[in-house]
Amino acid sequence: MKKNTHLLLLISVFIIATCGLIYELISGTLASYLLGDSVTQFSIIIGVYLFSMGLGSWVSKYFDKNLLAWFIRIEILVGLVGGTSSSILFLVFESISSFRIVLYGLIAFTGVLVGLEIPLLMRILKDRFEFKDLVSKIFTFDYIGALIASLVFPLLLIPYLGLVKTSYLFGMMNVLVAFIACINFKHEIKGVGYLKGAAIISLLLLLAGFIFANKITSFSESLTYSDPIIFSKSTPYQRIIITKKGRDLRLFLNGNLQFSSVDEYRYHEALIHPVLAALPNAKNILVMGGGDGLAVREILKYPQIKTVTLVDLDKEMTRLFRSNYMLLQLNKRSLLSPKVTVINADAFSWARTQHNLYDAIIIDFPDPSNYSVGKLYTNTFYKIVKHLLNTNGIIVVQSTSPFVAPKSYWTVEKTLKSVGFYTVPFHNYVPSFGEWGYIMAMNHSVYKVPDQYLPGLRFMSKSCLEQMLYFPKDMARVPAQVNKLNNQILVKYFEDEWATVL
Amino acid sequence: MNGQPYFSNKSIRNSVNRRSFILQASFLSAGLLLSNCFRKLNGPKPDYAHIKGKLRGPNAKAGHILRDKTPLPNPETQTSVKTLIIGAGISGLSAARWLLKSGDANFQLLELEDHAGGNSYFGSNAVSSYPLGAHYIPIINNEDKLLIDFLAENQVITHFDEQNLPFYNEYYLCFDPEERLLINGHWQEGLVPDFGVPTEERKQIVDFFKLMTGFKTAKGNDGKYAFDIPLDNSSTDATFRKLDSIPFTEYLQQNGFNSAYLLWYLNYCCKDDFGVLAANTSAWAGIHYFASRKGKAANTAENSVITWPEGNGWLMKQLRDFVKNHIRTSQMVYGLSYHATGGVEVKVFDLKTGKSSLIIADKVIMASPQFVNQKILKDIPRPGVNYADLHYAPWLIANITVNKLPTAAKGMVLCWDNVAYGTASVGYVNANQQDLKVIEEKKVLTFYLPLCDKAPRLARLEAYMRTYEQWLDIIIPELEQMHPEITPDIEEIEFWLWGHGMVSPAVNYVWGNTRKMAQSPLNDKIFFAHTDLSGISIFEEAFHQGIRAAKQVLGT
Repeated sequence: MKKNTHLLLLISVFIIATCGLIYELISGTLASYLLGDSVTQFSIIIGVYLFSMGLGSWVSKYFDKNLLAWFIRIEILVGLVGGTSSSILFLVFESISSFRIVLYGLIAFTGVLVGLEIPLLMRILKDRFEFKDLVSKIFTFDYIGALIASLVFPLLLIPYLGLVKTSYLFGMMNVLVAFIACINFKHEIKGVGYLKGAAIISLLLLLAGFIFANKITSFSESLTYSDPIIFSKSTPYQRIIITKKGRDLRLFLNGNLQFSSVDEYRYHEALIHPVLAALPNAKNILVMGGGDGLAVREILKYPQIKTVTLVDLDKEMTRLFRSNYMLLQLNKRSLLSPKVTVINADAFSWARTQHNLYDAIIIDFPDPSNYSVGKLYTNTFYKIVKHLLNTNGIIVVQSTSPFVAPKSYWTVEKTLKSVGFYTVPFHNYVPSFGEWGYIMAMNHSVYKVPDQYLPGLRFMSKSCLEQMLYFPKDMARVPAQVNKLNNQILVKYFEDEWATVL
Repeated sequence: MNGQPYFSNKSIRNSVNRRSFILQASFLSAGLLLSNCFRKLNGPKPDYAHIKGKLRGPNAKAGHILRDKTPLPNPETQTSVKTLIIGAGISGLSAARWLLKSGDANFQLLELEDHAGGNSYFGSNAVSSYPLGAHYIPIINNEDKLLIDFLAENQVITHFDEQNLPFYNEYYLCFDPEERLLINGHWQEGLVPDFGVPTEERKQIVDFFKLMTGFKTAKGNDGKYAFDIPLDNSSTDATFRKLDSIPFTEYLQQNGFNSAYLLWYLNYCCKDDFGVLAANTSAWAGIHYFASRKGKAANTAENSVITWPEGNGWLMKQLRDFVKNHIRTSQMVYGLSYHATGGVEVKVFDLKTGKSSLIIADKVIMASPQFVNQKILKDIPRPGVNYADLHYAPWLIANITVNKLPTAAKGMVLCWDNVAYGTASVGYVNANQQDLKVIEEKKVLTFYLPLCDKAPRLARLEAYMRTYEQWLDIIIPELEQMHPEITPDIEEIEFWLWGHGMVSPAVNYVWGNTRKMAQSPLNDKIFFAHTDLSGISIFEEAFHQGIRAAKQVLGT
């Protein structure tokens, strides 16, 4: 046997071993990203993977003829399945509720294929090496490959390439082994041209996947987000990102944190209950923004509420929070309630055409960080909203942080006052946001802190709200102007004030 | 542009005599034809092949029938009317509105085009309406009761506060952010050069604005504002009026303004409002641009502007709809003479039916530009009027529909008015600025190019000869300079060419004899109303021109 063929085979073993372990690590990491609880996930993944490899080894005895051709076929298949696995998992994650079946199925399949590789290789090589030599060499390289894989994966591959590109890269390596085998053993394999063609096509497919990986799931973003990204999608309106680390699931819109599952109850209880506890007869509620359904979840806790109308710009956002099982758990399926009507429309234009009156209006728009969203914080918009509010109704507006951005916060308050509202500013501490501000607005100055709150709230209570109404000196009212469509001062204040923090 | 004009008034008179005009014109024509032939041979540039659109403009063919004295059929029918208004631009519509408001419904309004509107005409596509000419008005001087009334009638002014200051409709006041300038590789907020401007030049800019603020409140020895709108309300004081006899550039030079940045800005302003460079604008008119607008509002800052997706087309529609039963479009007036019965005999050719008719009117308001009147009134002398004193700037308007707006330069985001320093155009406005939608996927940008690098006659000739593809070659490189790699995102470009876009307030025109005489009625039968009789082509002037003529007709 030629020296270089010898070396080539050993390199192949090394690559196969590295790839095998990488697929396992990818699956484990993905499972803990997407499903949380990394100990359980890694443990199950390793178990399923090793068991499937065993299955593969057992199946290998049924391969009798054309071993080399079979080896090449399996290499190509491993490359394709392993290479595309993480993309497939990311793509199905958003829409499939039985995600686990797909995940374990894919891992098992990869495991079986990887399990086939070494036994087949050993049988191919058994006539070319002495047995003890063969076993020693193959297993040495197998384990060295495993070591290398376990080192480069966390240190180099995840930080610099990300999961999806890593999968494609190692998929290509598997196929490359197949391709080299085709060339080296061209005289020993029947129909080698067909296999070579398949290898080349697979290689090109994987290369395309590698190049366009960022279009599938944008992993360039993983560097700007501290937690692993489990979902990302660009809609015509915004970029939706969901990250997850342990129990902490976070939603980002255009890079801005919308909530963290760990403390969002503080935000949403503060947004809803001071309003609804004060309106025991409220029946019809309007929510603008808040397509995550978390505010609606709080609203639906009041049995007397008859209708909730949610107006959110982004169809994709409300679809996501009505279909993904993890998000459904979080919002308690609120957007699927028969009381809730979801309208995907631009709030300003929509509100202008409305005539129905609401008992409470919850305004939960993204922060006024650009001129487009800034329009939804103007006196013109609040005038329209005023026309949709019952005489005794209450509006609440999320109004950025009075601590970080006092000028912005008090500009919103001033703007609400300018259209004839009485205002009740309040604030609380939301760990993931910091000190956060809200403003209630109503037609009469009769807000009384409610005595009774729903049982089961984790944050809101009478004494808590009383505290929230107090503004210490570092957040006290500052002189402000009215935010208008033709001056948009709020956007400028907001940018200046947050620029010093971010 | 380097602040140096390509031609000056002197050079129009002296060097562009008839022979040199013909010579230059021949060179231009040959060049354009040649470039067009190359284009035909090579086919359209592949980069531009996906761009849809047409080149359109006012009905030049009809205009040329007049100019070339093409024989027309003899009138078959005869009707009569008390007042006949010729031209349904803003001044004609405003005259008509005034007659109707005064209880006089016995009038007709004839329009050459198949639509009313003149310079305030507009277009629209699936994405938006967009202006084809005038696109905004600043808030109105508080003394201008007539215009304030009109705006209040149409809810542009919704009410008045305790101090009687007008409250402008928030949906029409231009939404913020309003203006940005691409200068030294950066989009700065506002159009007055600032980013990267040296301290010495900055000081000049500040000084210039101080001087102009002084003129804003300055009054003449007759107690009138030195600079007012309508401009005929301005003081007769010679201290100010004599500024009309020198070019704006000469005035700037005399006052020590030589900063290249400031001169660029002032040239931009003259191009924007008058369609010509500062060298071809009278100093009086140049100052008027900065000093005439002093309107105060209850709910917005001074100098705020009012705009709509269709630009002044919105205002035009309010005027048009008020008098719509009196308007007849596609009617070309080709002759006018005094009738034996004491009225005026007007020959009208119907461009749709191809038939001519006679209208006998007691009185006629010619709300058409003087370069047209010159042809119509060929048999009626207008004492003191020298038509050669009137200059009209040609303009190209491009309405550009884009999928997105790539930006390379940092700084201010898309504004209503977006200008790049040192370019031939005066930038573009975002027709979708007044949209309430949080996100528009597509936008229409209205791009304005005054054709002022050559004498108007040459520029006009050259412009008429250019093909759609040749305009693309002019517009797109400038657009690419503002937004690198925008070309693939351009869906459609609609070109609109105004051969006689607007009158220019050249030296000695505003306070010269021709303008004064051209406003005078003939025989108490023929009256005149047009912005070229103001010398400044703005909505306010047109509006008042119409009312002035209507009042003359009514004898009020």
